[in-house]
Amino acid sequence: MSGVGGRVGWRVGALLAPAFVGLGVFVIGPALVSAFIAGTDKTLTGPHFGWVGAANARTAFSDADLGGAVRNTLVYCLITVIPAVAIGLALALAAERVAHGRALVRFALFLPVSANIVAMAVVFAYMFDSSPDGFANTVVGLFGVAPVDWLGDTSTALPVVALVGGWRLTSFVFIVYLAGLTAIPRSVYEAADVDGIRGFARLRHITLPLLAPTTIFLGVFVTILTLQTFETVAVLTKGGPLDSSTTIIYYIYEVGFTGSFRIGYASMIALLLLVVIVALGAGGALLGRRIRRAREAAA
Amino acid sequence: MSAGTSSDAPAPAGPPAPAGPPAPTGHRNPAAPTATAARAARPRRRLPGPATLVRLVLLTVGIVVAVLPFAWMLRTAIGPPQTALALESNPIPSRVQFDSFDQAWHAGDLGPALLTGVGVSLAILALQLATAVPAAYAFACLRFRGRTALFAVVLATLLVPAQVTAVPNYVTISALGFADTRVGLVLPFMTHAGMIFMLRQYMSTIPGSVLDAARMDGLGTWRTLRSIIVPLAAPAIASVSVFSFLLSYNEYLWPLLVARSPGIATPPLALARLMTDSSSVIPDFAELAAAALIISLPSLAVFVVAQRRLAAGITGTGAGA
Repeated sequence: MSGVGGRVGWRVGALLAPAFVGLGVFVIGPALVSAFIAGTDKTLTGPHFGWVGAANARTAFSDADLGGAVRNTLVYCLITVIPAVAIGLALALAAERVAHGRALVRFALFLPVSANIVAMAVVFAYMFDSSPDGFANTVVGLFGVAPVDWLGDTSTALPVVALVGGWRLTSFVFIVYLAGLTAIPRSVYEAADVDGIRGFARLRHITLPLLAPTTIFLGVFVTILTLQTFETVAVLTKGGPLDSSTTIIYYIYEVGFTGSFRIGYASMIALLLLVVIVALGAGGALLGRRIRRAREAAA
Repeated sequence: MSAGTSSDAPAPAGPPAPAGPPAPTGHRNPAAPTATAARAARPRRRLPGPATLVRLVLLTVGIVVAVLPFAWMLRTAIGPPQTALALESNPIPSRVQFDSFDQAWHAGDLGPALLTGVGVSLAILALQLATAVPAAYAFACLRFRGRTALFAVVLATLLVPAQVTAVPNYVTISALGFADTRVGLVLPFMTHAGMIFMLRQYMSTIPGSVLDAARMDGLGTWRTLRSIIVPLAAPAIASVSVFSFLLSYNEYLWPLLVARSPGIATPPLALARLMTDSSSVIPDFAELAAAALIISLPSLAVFVVAQRRLAAGITGTGAGA
């Protein structure tokens, strides 16, 4: 209990030690090492490396390929996160009051989250095959559109990769919103009903404001997840054609683990990405706290 | 937790009881006091209104889109061989056959891959529970100096992307001589901050009186953990276990870096290699779909058995932010 030193001390130490050994050796230590390597010209294969200071950062800011990867990642985020949050919310609102077949609805809509992303990428690659008899081309063919080389065309490769990511994210958003909706007490709706607030007005003035903390969490968390997209790109396009679907994380992989294995430079890009992620996370936490404060003040 | 934020929810609407008399707000029902009675008498959902129709259409489309890739995977796997030169896009396969499963199993070496994947995931789960349960217990139930600061350190590690730690971890694992081994696939995941966080959240709800009673019965720290905390936290432990297994089983980046020899490929890796190998010749999509289906089975099985646990686990992460 409240003992500070001595007897409780070593027990606490013993309880925490295994976890902190794991985190220290495989997360905290590597993060620090990574920050150091980012200042060197180390390659994975060469034994010798030297300190280059901020040169890697300067390279990063003038690297046209990285610029392209950043642009692709932003486009990817935009066309996955916004639709996924909007559609996930709409589906959760629609599913919340389903009386019959509730279990079926949930089962089906939870399915994409548990799916193996590599397996699904393989299936999507096949559905979006360039052949005129592929699934996607058959569907667009119904509308008189000529067959498209989905994954081989610079204008469609990234959107198709984003579709796979968005498909899975929507399911995740759905689960989180559904939990958020269930947490709204019945009494709130009953009171609104007495006041004549129903339908769209209720959605706008009661449900959505109450879901605001969930929405902020999702916006931040899903964006951070999306910034780290790797598997779908690796399996579907390998960044191609002509780097049109290379995301930041895939670019880091290419720089550090293929070609000339420049892990010094790769670490610098990863570090810059980490700064963005931490800023996003902190911003989200701050916004969430402000809303909670405002609500407590109003209450 | 999302439930926590909603505890201050009733504020804008106010308690129903005093809100009765002010009639002007009730535009639709002039007789405000009988409104609830009228509502009770009117049977709901006899005729589907436009809102209900929109809802049904939305759900139907959502379910179809969610299930379609799985259905297409199954349909392709049991259909005839398919190449880019002869693709079938009709929903019903022209003939049903199971040869593709046999081919995929041998071509992709899926048997060893499944064993590796399940074994590695279970080993990771065991290590994560062994490290996270005691830590969560200390953070939730014991008081000590630096508790808040240490817990903040744990949470901060959640923000570090796997790609930042991948390079140094690769160096560490190589230096330990575990590159290209199953141990190398397991070790970097030995503890998980998210699991510590979720378990701590759950254990914090265990009433102090339970801990006091345990102390009065003369139970020490270890006995309390083993015979009080772990049984009480069993639902949370089950949730994080499901979550951990699915994450480990589906992990792709780390095995891609470490498992260089085909003998220790994990299922996603084996599938990706099968796809890359076959693209040099003309790929048989029936075989690829069969392989995708086979490697999806363990995670699907876990999902079917533990659907509720998974949902609880995901919303548990939704908690902290």
